[in-house]
Amino acid sequence: MKNPTIASRPWSLLLAGMVALVLAFPCMQALAQDEDADEDESSEAIELEEEDLACLECHDDPTLETKLESGETLSLHISTKDFLGSMHNENSCADCHYEIDIEDHGQGQSTITSKRELGVSMADACVDCHKKKYKEYNDSVHALLIEEGSKKAPMCADCHNPHTVKSWEIAGPEEAMPCGKCHEDIFKASAKDVHGLARNDKENPGPLCSGCHKAHGVKAASLGSGIRDTCLDCHKDAAEKHKVWLPNSERHFEAISCPVCHAPNAQRRVNLRLYDGAGADKQQMLEKTGVPQFIKRAKAADADEAGLDDRELLGLMKEFTKDVGVGKTVVRGRLEVSSGVDAHQLADKSKAISDCKTCHQSGAEPFQSVILTMAGPDGRPLRHEVKKEVLNSLFSIDSVKGFYVLGSTRIKLLDYLLVLVVVGMAGGLLVHITARWLFRRAREKRAAQARRDSGSQ
Amino acid sequence: MHKIYIHPLPVRIWHWLNALGILLLIFTGLQIRYAGLFDVISFRNAVVLHNWAGFFVGANFLLWLFFYFFSDRISVYQPELNPRKYFPMMFRQVYYYAWGILRGERNPYRVTPAAKFNPMQAMTYQIVMLVLMPLQFYTGVLLWDSTSYAGQIDMLGGLRVIATVHVLLSIAFVGFLMTHLYLVTLGHSFGAHTKGMITGYEEVEDEPSSSDDAAKG
Repeated sequence: MKNPTIASRPWSLLLAGMVALVLAFPCMQALAQDEDADEDESSEAIELEEEDLACLECHDDPTLETKLESGETLSLHISTKDFLGSMHNENSCADCHYEIDIEDHGQGQSTITSKRELGVSMADACVDCHKKKYKEYNDSVHALLIEEGSKKAPMCADCHNPHTVKSWEIAGPEEAMPCGKCHEDIFKASAKDVHGLARNDKENPGPLCSGCHKAHGVKAASLGSGIRDTCLDCHKDAAEKHKVWLPNSERHFEAISCPVCHAPNAQRRVNLRLYDGAGADKQQMLEKTGVPQFIKRAKAADADEAGLDDRELLGLMKEFTKDVGVGKTVVRGRLEVSSGVDAHQLADKSKAISDCKTCHQSGAEPFQSVILTMAGPDGRPLRHEVKKEVLNSLFSIDSVKGFYVLGSTRIKLLDYLLVLVVVGMAGGLLVHITARWLFRRAREKRAAQARRDSGSQ
Repeated sequence: MHKIYIHPLPVRIWHWLNALGILLLIFTGLQIRYAGLFDVISFRNAVVLHNWAGFFVGANFLLWLFFYFFSDRISVYQPELNPRKYFPMMFRQVYYYAWGILRGERNPYRVTPAAKFNPMQAMTYQIVMLVLMPLQFYTGVLLWDSTSYAGQIDMLGGLRVIATVHVLLSIAFVGFLMTHLYLVTLGHSFGAHTKGMITGYEEVEDEPSSSDDAAKG
C-alpha cells in the first residue's frame, strides 16, 4: 500500500500552516520587544551602580557649585546623560574620587584651594589607568612647563573633561582638539589652511593638531628639525619630488622648515641656533632650569641693545665655548617662519614658493630678520635679536660658519675684492697699453735701426 | 719668421674646451652670486649649468693630467727650481713685459716645443693647474653636495669657509684670465698667439744670425 504524503492531502498542508502561524506569533512579539529594548540600551546601555546614582542625585544639578579659596567658582555639576555618553561610563565615581569619604562629603567647606590644584591632584587618578599616555605626557613641553612652575600649562583634565570625554573615533574634529583653548590664534589660523580645510574630508582627511604635534608627547615645534619628519610621514614622496627640481634638496630640507615655502604669505626669518661642541654628536644647546645664562649673557654682549653685531656674536660664542670645554660652540642657521600662526597658513602646493630668488639674492626678505636661539629648559627657544648685517660680515666666517646661502649671505668684502681685482687689472693693462702706444715711436726707431744694422752687415 | 709646431692637437682641443668651460663657470658663478643684480638666466639654471660645467672642466682637467703625466711633455710645465737661476730668469721676463716690450726689445725667452713656456708662465701655470684648479674642484664638489660632505665641511671650518675659499679662488681665476687674455695679444701681432693655439704652429722670430743664413740660403 502506498503511504499518503502531505502533498497528497492539501487540507493537512493548510492546517500545518495555521498551526505554525499560531505558534510563531508569540515569538515574533517577543522579538519586537527585544528590538525595543536594544533601542533603549543604545541610549542608556550602561546601568549605573547604586552608589553612582547616589552621587549623581546631588551632582546632576547645573546650579551646584562651590567657592574655592582662590576665589574661583568650581562647578560641581555632572550631567548623567553626558557621563553615560562618555568613555568613562563604565567607571564608577569612586574609581577616580577614591579619596572622598562619604561620611563627611558635602559637609562644610571644600578642601580644594584652586581649580589648578584640583587638576594636579586628580591627575594621579588618570595615571592609574592611562600609564602609557602619562609617560608620553611627562616628556612633553606641557609637563616640562609645569615642572618649571607654570600655572597655565595643561594637566589631563584641562584637555579632557573626564565626565564627558568621548572616543577619538566618534568625537568630531573640533571636539577632539582642545588645543584651541590655549592656542586660539594658531587654532583659528590652522582652520583656514590647507590642512584645516580638509579636516572634515571623509576620503582624505587633513591632520588634526595631534596628527602633527602628538597629543601627549607634544614638544616645542621649533626644537631640532621641528616637525619636518612629521610632514614627511604623510608626504612620503616629498623628498623625492623635491629632488627632481631643487638642486641640493637635502641641504634645503635640513636648513629650511617646510612652512617657509609652503606658507607663502608667512613672515620668514633666520634662526641661528647654538649647538654644543664639534663632531658628529652635536646637540642643540639646552639651557638648564634655573640657570638663565643665555638671556643674561646675550643681554650683556649686546651693549647697545639693538641686536648683536658680528663682533658681539663672536664674543658671545667664545664665552659659551669656554663653558663647554670640549669642542667649540657653533651656530647652525635655519630658515623658519616667525610664529606659530605663520606656520599654520599652509597653502595648496601649487601656491608654494619655488622661485629661488625669494632667498638667493641680496636683500632677500627672509634674511631681514635674524635671531640667535638656545633651547630653553622646556625645549622652547630663548631668543635674542641679531643684526642682519652679521650674515654678510667677514667676522661671521667663524661664528656663523655653518650657515651660508648663495647670493643672500655672501661676504661683502669679497665683492669689493672682486671689483678691486677687476678694476686693478683693467687699470694696469690700460696703463700698459697706453705706455705701448706712447713708446711706439721709440720702437719704430729701434726697428728701423735694427733693419739698417742688418742691412749694413 | 718661421713656424714651429708647439701645440699638439689634443692640447689644442683641451685648451679650447677648458676655455669654454671656464668662461661658462665664471658667467654662471657670477649669476649665482649676483642674482637680482643681473638676471641673464634663472638662478636655478645657473646652478645646474655651473655644476655641469664644473664636472666638465674637472673631467677635462683629468685628461690634461693624464696626457701630461703619461708623456714626457710635463717637462714644459716644470719651472726652474734653482732660485739662483729662476729669479734672474723671472726678473728678465718681468723686465721685458714692463719695459723691454715698450722699447721694442726682443723677448728674452725663445719658444721651443720642449719648453714652450717662459719662466713666468711655467710657474704661474704650475700653480694654477696643480694647486688652484684642484682646490677649486674640491671646494666646488663640497658645495655641490654639502649634505653628503658635511663631515669634511665641518672639519675644514664650515660651509662659509669653503664658500669663501671657492670665491677667493674664482677671483684669482678672473685675475688670471684677464692677464692671460692680454698677454695673448702681445705676440708679434695681435692675434698671433691665438692663431697658434688654433693651428698648433707658433710663428717665431728668426735669430739675427740664423735669419741671415736663411736669407743667404
